[in-house]
Amino acid sequence: MPYYDEIELGDEIGPVEKVATDDEVSSFCEVWGTSSPNRFTDAETAAKSGMKGGPIVPGIMTMAMMAQLLTDWGGPGSIKDLDLVFRQPVPHNRALTLAATITDIREEDGENLAECDILMTGTEGERYIGGKAIVTLQSR
Amino acid sequence: MAMEIEYDRSLYGVEHKAGPFEISDYTIDRANQSTGELGPAFTSDEGAKAAGYKGRIAPPTLCCILVRQVALPDVKVQFGKTSMHAGQRVEPKAPVYAGDRLTASSHLKDVYAKTGRSGTMVFVVWETTFSNQDGQIVAEVQESFARRE
Repeated sequence: MPYYDEIELGDEIGPVEKVATDDEVSSFCEVWGTSSPNRFTDAETAAKSGMKGGPIVPGIMTMAMMAQLLTDWGGPGSIKDLDLVFRQPVPHNRALTLAATITDIREEDGENLAECDILMTGTEGERYIGGKAIVTLQSR
Repeated sequence: MAMEIEYDRSLYGVEHKAGPFEISDYTIDRANQSTGELGPAFTSDEGAKAAGYKGRIAPPTLCCILVRQVALPDVKVQFGKTSMHAGQRVEPKAPVYAGDRLTASSHLKDVYAKTGRSGTMVFVVWETTFSNQDGQIVAEVQESFARRE
């Protein structure tokens, strides 16, 4: 995990590549308590909801993936704020690239903060999810 | 001039409660398995203690999973036909430990219109506060739903 005084503006977190498989989405929907059939696991329901590419990954599941990018980097309790916009439906079984860029570094109320732009993209340049995150880091 | 949106404004100031949610090792295990979470602090007491916690903690988006269990009323927005999950925000305030009992309290935060290249959309934003058995706030979650023309 990086220390606050080791990071600089423009530093990148990741990228890491992930895939949300059919089985993982089904498992997530069970934990989430989503009723079936739904547009996340059922092709017909997804089509009726206007999803041309088949069932989609729940936004909250993609949020968990984005959070992992940050906690793997900054530590398990490092997220102070994660604010995401779901721009496009995220497909199952496709490579997803997650990355963040540090846009601000500051000390505030005794905390060392790194603010980041965070993005999930696809292999064809799709910008599935974008947003901002604030991560707290320790000093050396 | 701002667009006038018709919806049920009487919902402002009303809190919708849910819980308690028992956060067991099983709950955390299932959340981890379904999202591929392998972080040591989220998967074992030992890993959490090595990171300075008193025991195993839940991943920071667990409350985002639980938030859908709050029964929210229809805001009755008179705009558009389809609704989609437009965004989500979480601000973790304190660790959630295995063994905690959480309660949730949600209220309507905002309804607003935004016009962009793809037309006008109306956003409905709900804000939920999660507290533990000691009354300590552990997370604030915002969910945003958009209705399109």
